[in-house]
Amino acid sequence: MRLKQPIIAVTVAGLFALAACGGSDDGGSGTSEGNQEGEGAAQEGGNTGDAQDATRVDGPVEIEGATPGGTIKVISVAGLNTMHPSEAYYQNTSTILSGLVTRALTQYVYDEETKSMVLIPDLATDLGTPNEDFTEWKFELKPGIKYEDGTDVKAEDFIFSTAASMDRTQFPEGPAYSNDYLVSGDTYEGYFTAGKTLDGFEAVTVEGNTITYKARKPFPDMPYWLTFPAMSPMNETAAADPAAYARHPMATGPYKFGEYTPEKTLQLVRNDQWDTNTDPGRTQYPDSYEMDLQVESAQIDQLLLSDSGDAQTTLTYDDVLNENYRDFDASGRLVVGGFPLTSYWAPDYRKITDIKVRQALAWAYPYKDAYLSAGLIEGVTAIPGETLMPPGTSGRKEFSPLPDHEPGVTDPAAAKALLEEADAVGYEIKFLYAKDDPKLVKQKDVIVKALEEAGFKATPVPSTVADLSTVRADPDADINVRSPGWIADWPSGSSWFPPVIQSTNLDKEGLGSNYAAFNEPAIDQRIEDIQLLPVDEQPAAWGELDEEVMTEYFPLFVTRYGGVAQAHGSKINGHFVDNTIGQPTWKNLWVTQ
Amino acid sequence: MTSLNTEVMEEGFDPEPGKPEPVKELAGRSPTRIAMGRLAHDKVAVICGTILFVMVLMALLAPVISNAFGLYHKIGPGQAALTDLLEFDGLPRVGPPLHPFTWDHPLGIEPGTGLDNLSLLLYGLRTSLFIAVLATLISTIVGVTFGLVAGYATGAVDAVMSFVIDFLLSFPFILGALALAPIITTRFGANSSTLGRAEFLTLVGVLVLFGWMGLARLIRGQVFSLREREFVLAARVIGVPTRQILFKELLPNLVAPIVVAISLALPGFVAAEAGLSFLGIGLSEGTSLGKTINAADGYYDKYPLYLWVPVGTIMVLVIALNLLGDSVRDAFDPKTRR
Repeated sequence: MRLKQPIIAVTVAGLFALAACGGSDDGGSGTSEGNQEGEGAAQEGGNTGDAQDATRVDGPVEIEGATPGGTIKVISVAGLNTMHPSEAYYQNTSTILSGLVTRALTQYVYDEETKSMVLIPDLATDLGTPNEDFTEWKFELKPGIKYEDGTDVKAEDFIFSTAASMDRTQFPEGPAYSNDYLVSGDTYEGYFTAGKTLDGFEAVTVEGNTITYKARKPFPDMPYWLTFPAMSPMNETAAADPAAYARHPMATGPYKFGEYTPEKTLQLVRNDQWDTNTDPGRTQYPDSYEMDLQVESAQIDQLLLSDSGDAQTTLTYDDVLNENYRDFDASGRLVVGGFPLTSYWAPDYRKITDIKVRQALAWAYPYKDAYLSAGLIEGVTAIPGETLMPPGTSGRKEFSPLPDHEPGVTDPAAAKALLEEADAVGYEIKFLYAKDDPKLVKQKDVIVKALEEAGFKATPVPSTVADLSTVRADPDADINVRSPGWIADWPSGSSWFPPVIQSTNLDKEGLGSNYAAFNEPAIDQRIEDIQLLPVDEQPAAWGELDEEVMTEYFPLFVTRYGGVAQAHGSKINGHFVDNTIGQPTWKNLWVTQ
Repeated sequence: MTSLNTEVMEEGFDPEPGKPEPVKELAGRSPTRIAMGRLAHDKVAVICGTILFVMVLMALLAPVISNAFGLYHKIGPGQAALTDLLEFDGLPRVGPPLHPFTWDHPLGIEPGTGLDNLSLLLYGLRTSLFIAVLATLISTIVGVTFGLVAGYATGAVDAVMSFVIDFLLSFPFILGALALAPIITTRFGANSSTLGRAEFLTLVGVLVLFGWMGLARLIRGQVFSLREREFVLAARVIGVPTRQILFKELLPNLVAPIVVAISLALPGFVAAEAGLSFLGIGLSEGTSLGKTINAADGYYDKYPLYLWVPVGTIMVLVIALNLLGDSVRDAFDPKTRR
């Protein structure tokens, strides 16, 4: 899962707006760091849930004391990248769609008692019936579901949307799980690229209201994948033009698109074709939503802190600036929670071959100073941790991969001792940083200082916010440490180890998301084996694997887990943190009248 | 050199005609000396000059002051860990805004980095002044040369040169800077050791590129009017080389407009440098007032000292330079009376 990040667009737009009016010192451009490279995390909101409840099938959902009416304003720094269901894969776009606009076979709802998300049916009558080895899933579509224009949602629409979700050329930024797991995902080019044909597509078959998904390999996490907007039903005729559909996707949920200026504003109005009785998760209390995007962070905070007029019914899914955290905390309108983001440093396994050097790096890294300089708050938006799988992943094991090392502790002496043992004092560490983000430049300074204190030679390599991820993904880049972050798409180890640890063919596919270029055939084999294990044994096996990889090979070390600190106006109710992804619980929102 | 008109007019406008002035002293004063004399009597000029002198002195002494008091302007060895300097949310553990004033850090410390604000201010001032002076110097040299040549050459050469001037004048500065700066720094600042220098030179380069045309135009106009004067014609007739005519005959007569242009360009460059750094296309390495203001942007009511001191410093600097520039112009222009 990608972070909401069209920051580049924001920054550039901001700059050009300034240039156009000839001003040089009002407005601003440097405040977009709020979202770069993962944003922080809190335990307080509970763990990311792996709970499921197949019995919650029918609506309506009623929230005690909630009253209909009112307009909720949403403001954020980041623009909405694309709202085409097949391509919406940023935190903001995918949750706005799945929370309010597009229904799918399954969905997440917020459980106030556990402060966690629960997977329940949506358009399907249950959470699906797998065959023995999880290569075939059957779902039963509820009858009488309608699109916003009154046409029926047919089981065939899922064939089309799955075929579209395999189109990596038309939707390069969309999630690729259909390609990774489903039948013909590796051969079929996707509906649009294949020439608007379903020839060669065999992943989904339909019989009456029964939809059958076929996977190439066991896919026990199928119900999680089906929550994504990419797997929501789309009518083949209505969605024939992807560009037009991205401007106005057909709603099946409680809200449909009103006025929409891509990247800038989006209005959602009530969808009268949505039947509350069929929906066990969503509500339709507010009259409408007004999303105003590309607003500066400082401005967002001021507006929400003032809490006057419109601001009372406003919310943001951006983290509040660290300097305003206390004020928001005192106001009681702060919402904190964790989400499954792990930010880590990945020493290049091909270049830094001595495990002692990698371990020394983990001792030397200035965890807490790095949080402070980047504007993260320890325990809220940055949670120290050590295991690759963040809290809440099923089967997660608590252990210390580095002997005697506590999460978030920096010890230059211990690092130096290890370096001396490895005879590598003065070892050069080359890492990337974005020179156009002042906070990241400060963080770089802090890291350089800490590494040099521990006996490394630090060589920061300047890049830009726009280019950083491209350079980082280049296996031949002249750096030996990469600092990525990874958000799990569902709370299972299969969302962590295959993408982050399994080796890739560097010449053909590049690094993928294996930023350490980690390559141990034994571990690759273990990953393959675990995916073939009986489903109930898999979580524990992933936990074991985490410990094995981290203690024996130490290919990476965790710098923090993610958390969010969002704020809302005093008349907004039901704003909690969706801890699967770090966004507001859209389905619970209502306005005090 | 050969022009005495300023001096004559100066005598004619002597504010105290009754005062017996020895004639021989009058005969020995150059236009520049007269101007300096007038400046010394201008209260505004004296005050502004003093302020500038203090600022330049502080900027020059930035390392001395910082070292003497153990203040840090950049993150580096010796500085305490950030966790000791800052609270959990990045606000300082000592000094404003949460704690009382302390002499250890008279202007407080910077949230997020724990650096000393006084030290940041002094080093920022140093950067601003250095860049502004360098940019002024280069753009003056370029502008004067260009103007002299264009004005004296006439014909096709002048047409081409004027077109270049007009073209660059019509080019939007901010847009140009936005487009150029990243290209140049990416080309020459590929690693962090050369990045700082590349950014510095780019900044100066961009300021010069868009800063020399005004002066060039002014000089060209002046040269037009001087070109047909007797002393130039005479020099030409006796076969003085063109270069010598330009730099030995014409240039000395242009000192006044050049000095005026310099004194007005300096504050412009100071402000432009701060503006570009604020926009993030100035220096990413090192300290600059614009960068500090950018970082302090969100603190205007939470930690006013952090934001308003650098803003105030730039304001005072620019106003002082501007007023001094005005005074210099008045001093050099015998027709102005205040």
